[in-house]
Amino acid sequence: MRNRKIIVSIIICILLTLSISGCWNRRELNTFSILMGMGIDKAEEVGKVQLTAQIINVSELKQGGSSNKEAYLAVRSTGDTVFDALRNFTKESNRKIYLPHNKVLILGEDIATEGVQKYIDFFVRDHEMRLRESVLVAKGKAEEILNVKSELEKIPAAGISSLLKSQNATSEATDVDMKDFISRLMSKTTAPIAPLIEISGEEEKKVLRISGMAIFKQDKWVGELEGSKARGILWVIDKIESGIIVVDCPNEEGKMSLEIIRASSKITPELKGDKVSIKVEIKEEGHIGDQECPCELKSHDISSIEKMKTTVIRAEVISALEKARELNTDIFGFGDSVHQKYPKQWKDIESSWDEVFPEIEVEIVVDAKVRRSGILIMPASS
Amino acid sequence: MKIEKGVISSSQLTFMIIGFLQASNLLLVFSSRIVNHDSWLAILVGLVISIPIALSYAALAKEFSGKTLIQISDIIYGAYLGKMISVSYILIFLLTFSIDLRLFSDFLITYIMPETPIWAILTLLTFLSAWAVRGGIEVIARCSFIIIAMASIIILSTFVFLLSDMEFSNFLPVFDLPLKDFIQGTHINVSLYYLEIIIFLMIMAFVNKTEQVRGSMLWGLILGGVSLLILEVRNVAVLGIVSNILTSPSFNAVRYISVAEVFTRLEMFVVIMLITTVFLKVSIMYYATVLGLAQTLHLRSYLPLVTPIGIITISLCIISGDSSMELLHGGMYIWPVFILPIQLFPVLSLFIVKLRKKSKKLGANEE
Amino acid sequence: MFNFLSKKLRSWQQQNQNINKENKENDNSKKTKENSQAKLSSNLKENLDSIKAILGVCEDLIIREFAFGNKGQISAAIIFIDGMVDRTLINDNIIKPLMYDNRFICEEESLEIKNIDIIKGTILYVGEIEKSTTINDLVESCLSGDTILLIEKAKEALVISSRGWETRGVVDPETETIVRGPREGFTENLRTNTTLLRRKIKSPDFMLEAMKIGRKTNTAISIAYLKGVANPEVIEEAKRRLKRIDTDGILESGYIEGFIEDAPLSIFSTIGNSEKPDTVAGKILEGRVAVLVDGTPFVLTFPMVFIEGFQSAEDYYSRPYYASLVRVIRFIAFAISILAPSSYVAATTFHQELIPTPLLFTVAASSEGTPFPAVVEVLAMGVIFEILREAGIRLPRPVGQAISIVGALVIGESAVSAGLIGGIVVIVIALTAVASFVVPAQTDSGAILRVILVILAGSMGGVGIMVGLIGILIHLASLRSFGTPYLSPLAPLSPFDLKDVFFRVPIWAMLTRPKSIVRQNIQRQKFILKPTPPPEKKDKGGSK
Repeated sequence: MRNRKIIVSIIICILLTLSISGCWNRRELNTFSILMGMGIDKAEEVGKVQLTAQIINVSELKQGGSSNKEAYLAVRSTGDTVFDALRNFTKESNRKIYLPHNKVLILGEDIATEGVQKYIDFFVRDHEMRLRESVLVAKGKAEEILNVKSELEKIPAAGISSLLKSQNATSEATDVDMKDFISRLMSKTTAPIAPLIEISGEEEKKVLRISGMAIFKQDKWVGELEGSKARGILWVIDKIESGIIVVDCPNEEGKMSLEIIRASSKITPELKGDKVSIKVEIKEEGHIGDQECPCELKSHDISSIEKMKTTVIRAEVISALEKARELNTDIFGFGDSVHQKYPKQWKDIESSWDEVFPEIEVEIVVDAKVRRSGILIMPASS
Repeated sequence: MKIEKGVISSSQLTFMIIGFLQASNLLLVFSSRIVNHDSWLAILVGLVISIPIALSYAALAKEFSGKTLIQISDIIYGAYLGKMISVSYILIFLLTFSIDLRLFSDFLITYIMPETPIWAILTLLTFLSAWAVRGGIEVIARCSFIIIAMASIIILSTFVFLLSDMEFSNFLPVFDLPLKDFIQGTHINVSLYYLEIIIFLMIMAFVNKTEQVRGSMLWGLILGGVSLLILEVRNVAVLGIVSNILTSPSFNAVRYISVAEVFTRLEMFVVIMLITTVFLKVSIMYYATVLGLAQTLHLRSYLPLVTPIGIITISLCIISGDSSMELLHGGMYIWPVFILPIQLFPVLSLFIVKLRKKSKKLGANEE
Repeated sequence: MFNFLSKKLRSWQQQNQNINKENKENDNSKKTKENSQAKLSSNLKENLDSIKAILGVCEDLIIREFAFGNKGQISAAIIFIDGMVDRTLINDNIIKPLMYDNRFICEEESLEIKNIDIIKGTILYVGEIEKSTTINDLVESCLSGDTILLIEKAKEALVISSRGWETRGVVDPETETIVRGPREGFTENLRTNTTLLRRKIKSPDFMLEAMKIGRKTNTAISIAYLKGVANPEVIEEAKRRLKRIDTDGILESGYIEGFIEDAPLSIFSTIGNSEKPDTVAGKILEGRVAVLVDGTPFVLTFPMVFIEGFQSAEDYYSRPYYASLVRVIRFIAFAISILAPSSYVAATTFHQELIPTPLLFTVAASSEGTPFPAVVEVLAMGVIFEILREAGIRLPRPVGQAISIVGALVIGESAVSAGLIGGIVVIVIALTAVASFVVPAQTDSGAILRVILVILAGSMGGVGIMVGLIGILIHLASLRSFGTPYLSPLAPLSPFDLKDVFFRVPIWAMLTRPKSIVRQNIQRQKFILKPTPPPEKKDKGGSK
């Protein structure tokens, strides 16, 4: 009983000291600034990194649109490494930068062409970072991108983030988050991809626009795919969400647009001797979105539409494939699929994958369907 | 003279074993460093290997019902040799206990409160466990059900939330590694957490129905192993190759959850699950250590030992490794090798007992 | 420091005990000297004098001397305390028959020794009469409202039960209001209360055992249980603990609770109380023991388990689905009431990454420019809320409204608009306040837990909260109420009793009494009671 009292008193003393001297990680909301977007560029000084951070001006956000000041600040700092540069923000700003709410990470053109490996480690290692933030490559400097105002959003980084999400309407670019980027970077053969962002428009009316997908070789940016060619990658890696395919009318003059409703793909590698061949099966379903020609579509017309759609999809895939062959980067993950199916033979192939990849025979099987015709049976113009 | 008057039911024993294994979430990292995406296989094979050993533990406990491991070794090996063996058991208990505590504190410091000194976290956790240990085995056992119910709900719901992000091709190709590595990984799994249930030989003595110990041991081991399997499958399926480089794949996998952008930022549930199950595991080991020491020294009560052992544990935690890298190395290459013989020792004891019985029978027959 | 305090406390206790002992001895010695030995004499005057000597100059003591018999030869006296007796009963049923009975009017000889028995047996129109010979007994029963009839030349006196005083009627209980179910509540009168219970359980197994506690107050209590169902060990233990009580007064059942509970230092109460006869009857049927105390409508029931606070009598009167939903909501409300303020503190000062981005903007914007850290804000608002609550209870009703206006407008609205505290804090505290009243049994413990958790959250963040919660879990797991683990049926788990925890199964499926409380007669009802459609008649063709 006595013993117990002594222990209790010791414990209470410990607790008291804890609660008095505690608070090691305490930070009130008004002692830091929330980071929404981050850009990395090379500094003008050789060997240094320049970070551009888009942080929130909370007091402006509170008053709504009444004041004409912006709800965000874009600040920049330089340092020897990424983390060093991040800490150097505190030299100019009284508030520490708070990372966990970061939405986008924009890699500047110079960084991307040099190789992103050494810059990206911090964004995975730091405990405040999540693996969900989007990775983008800027045409030009990342700093400039982060300085462009968004028309609809108060915070440009949030605008970029929702811009990326809206890309699935065309499926000509896709959102790549940090986890995807890192796992492609860590893979021995598969090359990373990332959406490309650029500034379009005049001085006063600058707008941001996603122009396509950047293709990496190892960790270096080597090329890009735009428009329907970019969709060619997404068909293969099963990232198609929606989009429009334009084909000619079956019998008459005019065009039809077909909406993609759902699509899936499957990569099957095959090894014959030393020769690797890949079969890509794409299944697609869609509706008729609009129709210029006034004719009524019969069921045999539908099959010819489907045939045309198949051709379009195949062409898109082939154009992406050609670009990949030209740059010799395995953006489709063919290497990994061979590894998964033929783990034993893979060891021989792995070292010479760069020679093997351009020579791979790719068979593309497209199964495209037109399921419905909207709410019309006959064209509206007939 | 009985040190512990409490009695627990066999279902409570099952819950305690499940919670004990669920707390080993953080130990998964050691083997998955070696076997990479095949870690689920290593966990499964480890489970299959551990079952017969665990059953032999149960058989030993049944042979000496109402006796703890310390008393059993006193009976089998006599006063002096028995004491030596008991001391080695207790040392192992103490070391595993402090290493687990250290790993968890490291996790907390890495992910949640990097500026907090480690002694503060250790003191708090040890204090909590000491509180539970002073309450006796009944209190720990009663806490167990609520804790494992909560942990299981968290494990299952995070699995469901992550289903849409899972890529099962991450597991291909199956068994893509040298057999040597696989054996090493399995060994780590077996000795780092499955066979740590040797500690329950200190607790099985208090189960009210001795004949059910075997069943609850088996179920506890299987359910606990399955929950580890679910965790590992979730982590690898979601994170793929990235899970090999993270210190806590679970935390990052759950952090990745985003269901309709509403259910996001759920990583606190991992911390809740870990902190409660680790508390349970540490309390069980703390209890076993203290009780074992009291029985070795023939004390009338284990209560006077609780505070000193707690302080020793905190110091052991701090000196057990300078850095997390050192702990990782120790956990992968040193500790499993060191601990396995002691974990297999009860099997030898059982063998000796059976042999003696047989020879006695034979002797009796001859006479 | 703590040690020192506890030492002080202990020595003080010892001193007190010594004093008590002396007191008790004094009391006892006086009593033994004066009263216990003092038997009634056959002289009426002497008897009256000795009673007067004890009750002294009490102004409410009434002694009515009179004489009866055909010649008025038998002198007698009636003694009672004014206000505690039923006057009409004394006039009509005691004095009137004595004076008008024809045996006394006619001449009758043998009215000498046996007259007490004759009067008791044949004359008085009163239900409960006892004989007594010691003055001490007479005084005691007189003080509890009985009337004493002393008769010349008799060495015995009659104690006539004539208790009747102003009582509150059986009205709606104020603490436990319901929508569906009986509306009567216990009153301050012990007899009324036992009646209310007896009317619900009309079984010979329903036992009521009387006891008197309190040296000065002589409070009557009664232990109610169902024989053959309630655990005999619990009954024995309850009686042992009740007999141990040696204090001067019991004014409310809370006194008894304080003397007999298992964990006197815990913030959780291990003895339940209720104001509703149906609730208490339900608990008695489940095998619990109830203690009714004279002078209070609150009846104690034990063993109590933690989840009892989440059950309400109405759960069993409404349909099972809705009842289960309400159950779950009560658990959620309890969680909110103890966790909401601390979670707010932890999330805004330690784990901002856990708050969804748009919400973080709102929270950050509302706390921008406020002068205090979140812990201080929350603690201050918590204290202010408790002050308002206390003021609202204590103040006379008409003023209470003014207070609530002041509280809501001045402290809530103005503090936010003046920039003293963030608007979100007010919302959090208001939510907590509302949620804390959903589970009345744990409101007081919840308030304390809330403060502890806020302080822990302020120093260690989420880890602090978890440490606090695990601590609470350990504490709850180590509690017992009269041998029943406090957390049962969750821990130790008894799967069959989960029928009445997070959900309530239909009444016909509640086959057993809670296993952790009852050891015998566990089956409550027949096995197949699920309502089924009537069996089809054989003559199917006879539709017309």
